[in-house]
Amino acid sequence: MADSDRAVRAYAAEKRFAAATLERWLAQPAETRADLLDIAERLHLGENQFRDVLDDLLAIAARRGSAIADVLRAEELRAVLARPLGRNEAVKAVKAVLRRLRYPQLTAAERRLAALAKSLRLPTGSAVELPDNLEGEHIAITIRARSAAELRAQARGVAASLEGSAIEEMFALLDGARSC
Amino acid sequence: MLTRFVPDAVWIERSERDSPLARAVHTHYDGAVELFDGRAPLAPASVRDGKRVLVVQRHRGAFLRHCPAGTAGLVCCNYLVVNLASNCPMDCSYCFLQDYLADSPALTAYTNVEDALEEVDAVLRAHPDRSFRIGSGELSDSLALDPLTQLSRQLVPFFAARRNALLELKTKTDCVDTLLELDPGGRVVVSWSVNAAAVVARDEAGTATLAERLAAARRVQYGGYRVGFHFDPLVEFEGWEEGYGAAIEALADAVDPAAIAWISLGSLRLSPALAQAVGARAAPGYVLGAELVPGADGKARVWRGLRLRMYRVIAARLRAALGAVPLYLCMEPPAVWERVMGDVPSDRALAMRLAAGAGW
Repeated sequence: MADSDRAVRAYAAEKRFAAATLERWLAQPAETRADLLDIAERLHLGENQFRDVLDDLLAIAARRGSAIADVLRAEELRAVLARPLGRNEAVKAVKAVLRRLRYPQLTAAERRLAALAKSLRLPTGSAVELPDNLEGEHIAITIRARSAAELRAQARGVAASLEGSAIEEMFALLDGARSC
Repeated sequence: MLTRFVPDAVWIERSERDSPLARAVHTHYDGAVELFDGRAPLAPASVRDGKRVLVVQRHRGAFLRHCPAGTAGLVCCNYLVVNLASNCPMDCSYCFLQDYLADSPALTAYTNVEDALEEVDAVLRAHPDRSFRIGSGELSDSLALDPLTQLSRQLVPFFAARRNALLELKTKTDCVDTLLELDPGGRVVVSWSVNAAAVVARDEAGTATLAERLAAARRVQYGGYRVGFHFDPLVEFEGWEEGYGAAIEALADAVDPAAIAWISLGSLRLSPALAQAVGARAAPGYVLGAELVPGADGKARVWRGLRLRMYRVIAARLRAALGAVPLYLCMEPPAVWERVMGDVPSDRALAMRLAAGAGW
């Protein structure tokens, strides 16, 4: 057994990984196994986090027709790993980068929708709610008020915010009638 | 040219060895044929393992079923499936059989075809005023085993003699030689599952190339058959628009639109178990890399906006290339039909229009 595989097994044992997860790890090419160990150790990944990262990496590699090792060398990912972040912030940042790489069009649409929602300038206490993963046809606007008068004022403010074309574009993005 | 499927071994149930199908396999298979009693002495570990050995045996159970795609909440075309075989020699990365047949993965051809046809005949006679579309390509490819089993010699004359049913032979092969010796009488549609050439190359191992499928479609069209095409699953990948556009152009160059019975569009969908099977493959292809998210029914699909855009773009290109061909969506809810097709048919209306050769 190579030293690197011993290290993989040791890490998996320390973190109490299930046998199936370890098997998936060991089924990767040697270079990828070592790269995965590097990222796992740097981020102190637990089993669920490791599995999510591996799923994302496999999907991105399949999308690009490349190896996981190539994905791990992506500039965006290296940049995040090089930042002086705490463990939780680093895990969050890595997951965000992987999501952008795995879902380039979905995340672009989400960013555009967030920008459009901001441009609505809804009154304080009102917020736009979009379906998870944009997997739905409804846009909701929630209004919080502490009195009838406040609620009426909020509703008028929301109605005024919806006069522009931004909301049309938001529905068009959800419906795929417009792409980013 | 697609390499014809030659199993590593053939096992025939002893009591069925004189059935027409078993005799055909004996005649067309060069290797040694083993006989068995009771259960076939095989225990393939997976659907993939089950593909290399052909079991020929009697089917003990019903043959005719409603298409499993007919799920509540989705527009359904009331399709019936007649299961004359189980498993398939090809190995598509996204194939639902990887999960569906996990407990009985042996590649099997059933011998008691006459029982299946009696079952079909009883339904057709009980509803003489209804028109049925019946397919044999649900649990297996309709034609992949035909060079060995010659099953089409039993199916085509049966349906050619019926007035209220269309048989759909759905395939990813170019195994049409036997069909060309038969008269379909206007009652048989040979259809191809088609995809962008890049998807065929990466995700549809062991199948005919797109060009081979279209060449076969052209041949059967000249042989008097109507043809169908299923852009299913549509796989989202970088370059999908060009890839599917090229496939549509190739299709339009190959066949006469007047001979097209129907074209369906269906987005890639993966149940959690199927997604796991795809992820475990050594080379999962483009399927794993598509922008799939979990839907309300638990299946992963390309996220809605992108899925709708794919449908609209591909439907528009099909209409531009082929004119008003009968077009429908598979396994989509009314809201998606409305957005893409501008209309939501009832299940019955959709079934009647497709059986009559009309569509959206």
